[in-house]
Amino acid sequence: MSGSKVASRSYIVFGRRSTAQLTFALGIALVVVFSLVPAVGILVISFTDIRSLPYLATHWVGLENYQTFFSSAQLAYNLSALRNTFVFAIAVTIFQNLIALLIAVLLNQRLRGRNLARAVVFLPTILGVTVIGLIFSLIFNPSAGPAARVWAAFGASSAFFGDPKLAMTLVIFVQVWSGIGVAVVIYLAGLQAIPSELYEVASIDGATAWQRLRFVTIPLLAPSVTANTLLCIIGSLQSYQLIYVLTGPINPATQVLSLAIFTQGFGGPQGGTVQSQGYAAAISIVQFVIVAVVSLAALAYLRRRETSL
Amino acid sequence: MSSTTSLAGRASIAARLITLSLAAALALAGCSGSAPGGSASVPSDPSQVKGDLNIVVSSAAGSDAGFKAVNEAFTAKYPNVKVNFSAVPNENYNQTRTSRLTAGSIDLVVANPRELPSYVPAANEGDDARLADAGGWVDLTGQPFMSKFTPTVLDQIKYKGKNYTVPTGLSYYSGLTYNKKIFADNNLKIPTTWDEFIALCDALKAKGITPISIGGKDTAGVIMLSIVQSLFPTAANKQDLAKGLYGYTVKLNEGQQLEVLKKTQQVYTYGQANFAGSNYSQMTADFLTGKAAMISDGTWNVGALRGANKVDFGYFPLPASNTAADNVSLGGKVELSLGVPSNAKNIPAAMAWLQVFADNYNTFNAQAGFAPSQTGATGDAFYTDIAAYTKTFQPAWDTIWIANTKAGQAAARPFNWEAVTPMGSGDAQAAANAAEKDWEAGK
Repeated sequence: MSGSKVASRSYIVFGRRSTAQLTFALGIALVVVFSLVPAVGILVISFTDIRSLPYLATHWVGLENYQTFFSSAQLAYNLSALRNTFVFAIAVTIFQNLIALLIAVLLNQRLRGRNLARAVVFLPTILGVTVIGLIFSLIFNPSAGPAARVWAAFGASSAFFGDPKLAMTLVIFVQVWSGIGVAVVIYLAGLQAIPSELYEVASIDGATAWQRLRFVTIPLLAPSVTANTLLCIIGSLQSYQLIYVLTGPINPATQVLSLAIFTQGFGGPQGGTVQSQGYAAAISIVQFVIVAVVSLAALAYLRRRETSL
Repeated sequence: MSSTTSLAGRASIAARLITLSLAAALALAGCSGSAPGGSASVPSDPSQVKGDLNIVVSSAAGSDAGFKAVNEAFTAKYPNVKVNFSAVPNENYNQTRTSRLTAGSIDLVVANPRELPSYVPAANEGDDARLADAGGWVDLTGQPFMSKFTPTVLDQIKYKGKNYTVPTGLSYYSGLTYNKKIFADNNLKIPTTWDEFIALCDALKAKGITPISIGGKDTAGVIMLSIVQSLFPTAANKQDLAKGLYGYTVKLNEGQQLEVLKKTQQVYTYGQANFAGSNYSQMTADFLTGKAAMISDGTWNVGALRGANKVDFGYFPLPASNTAADNVSLGGKVELSLGVPSNAKNIPAAMAWLQVFADNYNTFNAQAGFAPSQTGATGDAFYTDIAAYTKTFQPAWDTIWIANTKAGQAAARPFNWEAVTPMGSGDAQAAANAAEKDWEAGK
């Protein structure tokens, strides 16, 4: 009896009481308060017509918000947003990883000014989205920006972010530029963890530079590839800030799901939004499902590939 | 066995966490809704008015300066009040407003409760109207400062017979600002019909002058609104159009509705090269440097253009009809109407500020440059020039149209100007067809 009391006292929710577990409990508590509660909250309010304003009652509307999202009136627009989201995410993931890997391999060599070059590559990461938006709005100013002069040198001109055929490409370019610093740092860390002896052995065996890259660097860099790819996929599926700053909130050419959530939830016409925030929450849940499925599928594939390499 | 127990334990913990989160989320979701505040009046003793006064408006250079001038006059009269004035950029205004209204940290804010016509389903009611119905705004009807404003202007912003907001001025935006010198140098007159307007644009183009500079990223929609103003010149015409659309007796891809987009497409051909990528400031710069003879803009920009002091300019309605009589009025709206939320923490100070605003209206408008909302107030000389077009106030299309949340995005305005090339990738007919399809889908 007394033994069981002692046992029950020595256990708290997360197991045996110890400094490590108390710290863990604190971490879990933070995650619950700041991630799990809001996440479940979003699911709950996606079934309501909440407007987040004082005096306005919230009603339970069941699946109405989801029906609206998949209704024939909204479906074409939402499918277009979904297609843009995937185009954006896939392109950013591929280009950001490829370019970051090349830069990381280059910056891992013994070069003069290597530290300066690393700092320059990382620089865009510390710039805010608004600053990046302003910089590229000026660069791609269709009447007087430097890009317009380059185009003019080839006898061409463009509306750049205003051109529905070019806007998405440019936004992808800016997103890759702004996110490449972190990817390079992760690859550099991975590269520096590869023992130099392996390269020496490979050289003795007569491996060429390409063979060393293919059979030493890439297999041992696989965990970094997994981390970078997942971060990139999740980040770009949820990203909207740069698109908002560069092309505006309602440009159909660059409309992505995250931006739709933002405009429906907060950015409606002057005098108040017409759609409820419950609808924005429903789009969030749809987006969450997509991000979760894509991320888990990517994780499973990359893990399998890591072992096969 | 132990791993099974451990897994069951983990599942139980996870279930508990989710239940806890659900309870917390439900509690948070249920936080909205509380009793509306009481009546309000302007305090008689300035020394009794204390604390912070939080004002949130959408930002524009002229009106910001005007509000700051009123704040100075207010602080001089009410020294015990600290004014916290926030001018928020338009793109972030709604989110700021929503969060601060919820927190009860706004005492004065731009609001626009609009009454739903009987033909519009209730689901399309805007937040401000819902708030007014729920007692979320202080009723300002009959307050002493309201008598200083023009009664017909107050009528425009009444909601179910009551005034919840104070009008800071009027703006017109169905016209074009033009460079008087360019017009004079090229012997061009203000056009009064569509054919004359096209001839004018062709003449400018032939001389190598950009006829119209357009801010494709910001204000290109003004062109559509201008054309609607001429094709549906009176408030009754616009109401009939809206009613016909909601009754599905009028289609967006035929007749005058299609004509709106066809003429919009034609006006686009007179814009500067690649205007779809230009913003409002680039558009204004083109005008001020004489590159463009006209800009598609509202009179809200008069203060800034006057301040630049580079161009002698005037304003005329974009004549989209070949019947000159349909082109004589400018469509407009009541600007930046200020309301007091019922959950404001300092309603006495807000009421006192509105009294000071009404008493110092000329000080405000000297900076803001609006068409005055007070009878006898002084406005910019510019408004005397356009008096012929503003004799009778005609509300612009966007102040009458209420979007249908059940319809698709292409029918939101409902004229789908964003889809017309070069803003979008189709011609006027394709854009109109897309709008009609989205409109029908909301039936």
